[in-house]
Formats: sequence, C-alpha cells, structure tokens
Amino acid sequence: MRSLISFGTLGSRIYITFTVMIFATIFIMQLVAFRFTLNTVRNSTLETNQAMLGQLTRQIDSYIQGMEKIASAVLENSELQRLLEDDGLEGDRRAVETMLAHYIQARDDISEILIFPPGGSVISSDPDLAINPWTDYTRRSWYVNALAARGKTVVSGSYVQNLVKGQYSWVVSLSRQINTRHRPSTPGVLLVDLKFNRIQELCQSMVIGKKGYNFVIDEQGNYVFHPTQQLVYSDLKSEPIDRIINLLGDSERMTYSDGERYFMVDTSPLTGWHMVSVLRSDDIITEWRNVQAGYAIIGLALFLIVGIATNTVTLGITKPIRQLQKTMKSVDTGEFQLVGRIRATDEIQELAREYDIMVTRIRELMQENIREQELKRKSDLKALQAQINPHFLYNTLDSIIWMGEMQQHSAVVLMTSALARLFRISISKGRELISIKDEIDHVQSYLTIEEMRYRNKFDYVIDVDPSLYEFEILKITLQPLVENAIYHGIKEIDEKGRIRIRGRKEDETIVFTVEDNGIGMAPEKLRLLNSALKHPFMEQGRHARGGMGVGIRNVHARLRLYFGENFGISCTSRQGEGTTITIVFPSRKGESAV
Amino acid sequence: MKKWFVPLLSLMAALVLFMTFSLFFDQNIPEMPELEKPIQIIMKSRERKPMDFWEVATRGIVEAAREYGLDYEISGPHFEKEIDLQIEIVNKVIEQRPPLILLAATDYKRLVPSVERASELGVPVITFDSAVDSTIPVAFVATDNIEAGEKAGREMKRLMARHDRKEIAIVSHIKETATAIDREAGVRNALEGETIIGTWFIDVEQEKAYRTTLELLKNVNLGGIVALNEAAALGVGDAIAEKGAEETVLVVGFDNATQELAYLEAGVIDALVVQRPYNMGYMSVKSAAEFLLGNTIPSFIDTGSILITRENMFSREYQELLFPVQNIGHPE
Repeated sequence: MRSLISFGTLGSRIYITFTVMIFATIFIMQLVAFRFTLNTVRNSTLETNQAMLGQLTRQIDSYIQGMEKIASAVLENSELQRLLEDDGLEGDRRAVETMLAHYIQARDDISEILIFPPGGSVISSDPDLAINPWTDYTRRSWYVNALAARGKTVVSGSYVQNLVKGQYSWVVSLSRQINTRHRPSTPGVLLVDLKFNRIQELCQSMVIGKKGYNFVIDEQGNYVFHPTQQLVYSDLKSEPIDRIINLLGDSERMTYSDGERYFMVDTSPLTGWHMVSVLRSDDIITEWRNVQAGYAIIGLALFLIVGIATNTVTLGITKPIRQLQKTMKSVDTGEFQLVGRIRATDEIQELAREYDIMVTRIRELMQENIREQELKRKSDLKALQAQINPHFLYNTLDSIIWMGEMQQHSAVVLMTSALARLFRISISKGRELISIKDEIDHVQSYLTIEEMRYRNKFDYVIDVDPSLYEFEILKITLQPLVENAIYHGIKEIDEKGRIRIRGRKEDETIVFTVEDNGIGMAPEKLRLLNSALKHPFMEQGRHARGGMGVGIRNVHARLRLYFGENFGISCTSRQGEGTTITIVFPSRKGESAV
Repeated sequence: MKKWFVPLLSLMAALVLFMTFSLFFDQNIPEMPELEKPIQIIMKSRERKPMDFWEVATRGIVEAAREYGLDYEISGPHFEKEIDLQIEIVNKVIEQRPPLILLAATDYKRLVPSVERASELGVPVITFDSAVDSTIPVAFVATDNIEAGEKAGREMKRLMARHDRKEIAIVSHIKETATAIDREAGVRNALEGETIIGTWFIDVEQEKAYRTTLELLKNVNLGGIVALNEAAALGVGDAIAEKGAEETVLVVGFDNATQELAYLEAGVIDALVVQRPYNMGYMSVKSAAEFLLGNTIPSFIDTGSILITRENMFSREYQELLFPVQNIGHPE
C-alpha cells in the first residue's frame, strides 16, 4: 500500500478506468432521465391543469347560463307579464311571488330574485321583505349596467349585496332590463343574485396540488374571486395580473411562470371573466426530493453492482498474475518453485506452463552444473595430491645411485623399498581415502628416505594411537607437512632437528599435529600463511613465493574440498623455535581399513 | 485491489450524484424542517359566531399553514373571559413540548408564569392579538392598538369639529387587557384638547354597554362615544338606536360585527376601526414558520387597522374584510 490509490498496478488501472467511465455514463444517463422525468411530469401536470381550467370555465359558464334561463323563464311568466303591463289581475302579484319563492326553494344557490318594475314596488319571493332604506339601488352598478345593456343579461362581479335590510351577502348578480309597452321610457330591472359560495366552491375544488389555487378576475382586472383576497388587498400577496392577461394574446405559450408559480388563464366568453389557475412548482413534482433520492439510490445500486463486477473481473485477471509473480519471486532466494495448475484465463495458464517448463529446464541445468563442478573439484584434488616434488624423486634416485656406487647395498635396499612403499600408497588404487595406518606407513617411508639422505640431520617420533589406525584419512596429508618441516624448518638450523607427529581423536574429529623445532616463521610470514589458509582456493602465486607453504595450502585446500569449511589446517609458529601444524578432519571408519 | 475501494468509491460517486442533483434542481423552496409534533395555537375564544373575528383569524392560520406546510393544532377556551381555563390549556400544551406555541393571551399578567414555564422547557412562544407582560415571547403579532385607537380618536375629533355637543365618553370592554389599555391610550392621544368625561368598563358584555350608554345619554352635553370593542360598540349602538340619538351622539367603534356594520350603514355608528384578523392569523403562522426555519423575525408585527366609514364600507377593497365570505371550509 504505497499510496492511497496506486495507478501503477494493472488492477487499479483497469478498475479506475472502468469506474470513471461507468460513473460518467450512469451520471449522464441519470441526469438526462431525471430532467426528462421532471419535464414530462411538469408538462403533463400543466396539461391536466389546462384541462381542468377549461372545465372550470365551462362549469361556471354553464352555471351562469342556467341562471340566465331561470331569469328568462321568470320574465316569460304570464302573470308577471300582465303585472308589468299594469293590467294585472287580482292575485297576479301573489302568483309571481309564489313562483319566485319556488325558484329560490328549488335552487339553494340563488340568494334572491327581485323584480324592480317600472314605477312599482319591488316584487320579491317574500312579501314582507324590507328593502334597506340606506341604499339607493338605482346607483348600484348591476342596475346601471342592466339599463345600459338594453335587454341583455349583465353579469356582475362578486360583491356584498346590501339590498335587504340587515342582510349582507356575497353574491354575483345577473340583471336584465325589463321593457314594458306602456312605459317604454322607464324600464324595470330583473335581478337574480347568485350566492357567491357556489362559484367559490367551483374555483376551490378544481385545484391541482396542495398549494395550488384558482382566482378569477373580471375584464377590468378586479378580483371576482381570490382565496386569499385579504392578503392581496393588504399587499401581503400579489399576482402578476398584467403578465397573465398578456398570455391571452399569445397563442404560443399557455403558461407564465415567475419561477415559483405557474399561471394559466382561460377566459369565459359568457361573463368575460378570466379564470386563472396557479400551480406551485413544488407541487408539480410534489415529492421531487424523493424522486431525486430515488435516482441517487438507483445510481448507487447500479454503481455498486458494476463496481463489484469490475472488481471481480479485475481480480480474475490480476490474481493469477500476482500468484505467478510471487512464484517467480522465489527465484530471487534461489528456490525454483513451480507454479503448477492455477485458475486463470487461458493466456495466464499458458504463461504459467511455459514458466514451469523454463524453471524445470533451469533446475536441470543447475544440477548438471553442480555435477560438473564436483567433477572438476575432484580432478583438481587428484592434480594436487599428485604434486610430489620431482626434485624429491630425482634426489632420492641420486642418493640410491650414490649409495650403489658406494656399495652400501643394504641402504640401497632400504631406500628403494621405502620409495616403492611411498609410491604404492600414493597410488592406493586411486582411492581418495585411505586408513590412517597406511598414511602413517606413507609418511614413515618418506621420513626413512629423507633421514637417509640427511644423515642424522634430524630424528622423528610418530606418536599415534593404534586405535586410530582403522579411521580414514585423506591420503597424502601428512607427507607434505613433514616435507615442509624439513625443507623450511630443520634444514635452516645447525643443531639436530626433531619432528614429532601426533594423532588423537577428539570427539567426532581426528586431530594430527606435525611439530618441528626448525627455524620457525617470522610473524609477518605466519600472518600471510594464515590469511592464505582462510582463502584456500585463491590464486596462490603471490603467497607461493619461496615455495613456503605451498604444501600446507594444498593439503588445507584438499581437506576443505573434501570435508567442508569446518575442517583443515591451522598453523602456529615462533621464529627460531619451530612450527606446529594442526590438521583437523572428521573421524570416519571406512571399509578400506584392513 | 483493496477491498474497501469499491464501496468507498461508489459511495463517493453516489454522494456526488446526489449533490449534483440537488444543485441542479433545488428550487429554493423553503422546506419546513420535519417537526415531530404540530405547533400549538391557543386562541382567546372558540366561540363561533358567523363572521367572528377568531373565525376569520383561523382562516388566515389555515392558509399560512397550508402555504408553509406546517402542522398545527388549535385549542383555547370557549369564551374570552375564561382566563383560568386558558391557563390550564396552555399549561397542558406546554408539557407536550410542541415545537412552538402561538398564544393569544386572555390576560396580560396571569399568563406570564405559563410563558415562563414554556421558556424553561425551551418551547418558543409567539403571542398574537393580545400580549403577555413578559419579554420571553419571540414575537408579538397584533394590531397596533395604540395606532388603531389614534385612528378612532382622530376620526372622532374630525367629526366633533362640526358638532355642537363637545363631551366625549369612552366605553372600554375590560380593565386589565392590553388591547383596551392601548386603544384607550391611542384615543386619548388623538383627542388631546377635547373634553373626555371618562372611561366606562363593561366587562365584555353588550348588555352592560347598553345600560351604561343609556345612563350616559342622560348627559345632554354628550356629543360622542368611543366604543373600544365589538361588545361595547354594539351595546352603545343598541342604546342610541333605541333612543334615536343618531344625530346628537357620534359613535366611533371598533371591529366589524354584522350588526355594527348595519349600524354604520344606518348612521347609528359613524365610523369603525377594523382590525385585520385574517392577516393576523396569517402573519402569526407565517412568523412561526419563519422562526422555525431559522430566520429572524421582528419582535412586533403590526397587522394593521382600517378606518371604515359609510362611504368606503362597500368598496371592493374592504368588503371582503368587513363581510368575510362564509363557507370557506377549514379543517375544524
């Protein structure tokens, strides 16, 4: 987890690409869909509203038309006709009153029907009806307008009718001029007062939404009905009436919106009233927050599904690659693991198979390499042990010739047989390990020859417990050390040299020491030798100067090669006092020990 | 791939989605915070006379509540004089811990402990129509009664200028109510320099106003009566109509009961100062809604008063105020 989002891995790259693309797609689609939903809902709501508004207009018109018919029916009444023409019979007035009472009873939305005959007293359903003495009806607009309309029915706006004493009722008035033959100059007026409640109920029933409402204005822009008329008159609310009226001349647009509200208008041909319906935009999509939340949830769900799918696909690709990668990493540590069969796509499986074949081949090559290395080591070994100084052979043979010339036959026999034994053991049927007994024999033979050559120059002791004889030793181990002791130790001193070979068993190892009382080594030389012993396989040229230590190093190298790091030679020496070389190797008993 | 990556990124995406949607489509409609309980509206009186002040106020309440999408419950005593009952109702309502209380106090002083209790419980109180003697309520929505009184007083002064009888009496509805105190103060302010012979209290009883007026009419110098509320105006009107004193005694009244308007039309009463109960109800709930929305509201909201005379009583502008259209259904 190097950083929060690593763009480096194949997985994250695939995942992020997919995520971003899918997010963008879902987002845009949702946006479009949401807008579309919003528009569709709004348009259909507005259309419904339009239809409802039309219906409202028709209903109000048909209502008023119905009332007009009643007015006409009243006027066509024969008793009334007679009464108006002033040739009424006794009882005609009562009959008209009864008729009016019937209409009012039948239609509870009629507040009052009043007939103002020319000159005569007001005819109403109730003969006891008292006209409000404080009002002059001839100056009220329904009266004035009726006369102006000359026989056509006039529909007033809504207002408080105060014609009847003590009564104040909200009405819409229908008034019509009554022309009579006998008094054409002073016409009468028929007044039908409709209870305003009915129109109000109509306006309030046909509303869309919780906050929607309708209002009605007349041709002059005065309110006929507004549900919150008081707020309008006290300026707490206002309606953009000019804009609404403008809509009427504009066939392109059916609504005007001030952002919060949608206004629609329809005009009644009968009354000239403008019916305005107001729709609150928050009512259009009443639960638009829910719609929005719904879209968000759908988006989330889609996104999660796609996200998980992408993740699965990504893992399907990257997991085997990771697995492969992990196995391949094992190469770093030197183990060559095989991938084996993995669950993956064909390509990855192919890759894994090829990798396994490759690793198997590498393993084989490595095995081969190790074998070859071993072989080489062994041949090196042979080469090393074969290094018996040719000078030695030459000198020995020289000595034998010399002794032959001197007629010392027994000495010749002794030396020759020692030489023979020496070579027999060094050959030893090509085996690397020989018994300690044979090795002692070997070194004994060598010492015999050297002792004869350097008469009384030194003497030697071999102090090895015969119980060790059966153990194995790498052949030609002791002889080079003894040779070294003679040529680089004893030869350099004047007094008689002494060589002591000791062998003992220490736990699982066998320890031999070769000790001399020769010249010893200077500390510098000893240091060089010891460091050379630490790196037995290094190129030996520099340290080999003067021949000193070549034998020792060879032996050491062979022991190391054969037995490993823990074994070999160590050397202590003091200048002028002598040198002690210690050999350590594992104790093993072999079949060769006979 | 990290396991937490998928849900995290998706969540982030959904959030972005949601926020963007909000950003694009938020239409800045004041959205009422979801209230667990309805707000409580406690009226002064639940008497239902046609075209009653409180009935019309209720219509304003209904309309504003509808516009703001506010839930409410209305309660209150049946009659304005049932002060103890109103205190009991208020105390009960406070313990329900409503989000807000709208209170039209029946008594200026005696409802103070209840308002203090509401404040302890963290229930905000807005008073309307009649205040309480406390600074706790966050707002007071009412007619500026001093100003209303001044309107009445000024009209009386104007009328008195052409009148030969100079003494003026004030008939007040009740002694310790803020409306009565303020209106009287307003009237007295405007009538500075005129002869005010005194204030008579009628305990919100029309009958008592009637009897008081009969007594007052015995004073031959009495030229005008200012009646400070509906009951007072009606009682005064009854007495004057009965005695035929329309010409000799001028009357300026308050409120708009149907009979008062009939008296106005008939000339018994010469002017009326009318409050706007619809606006009061509307503004009360509106300010409550604004307060709950976290908006600051002024501590006093004047809903205004109108001087009505015979000339303007049938004007288009005022007829709805004076003669409220009946039958507008409200959920009661």
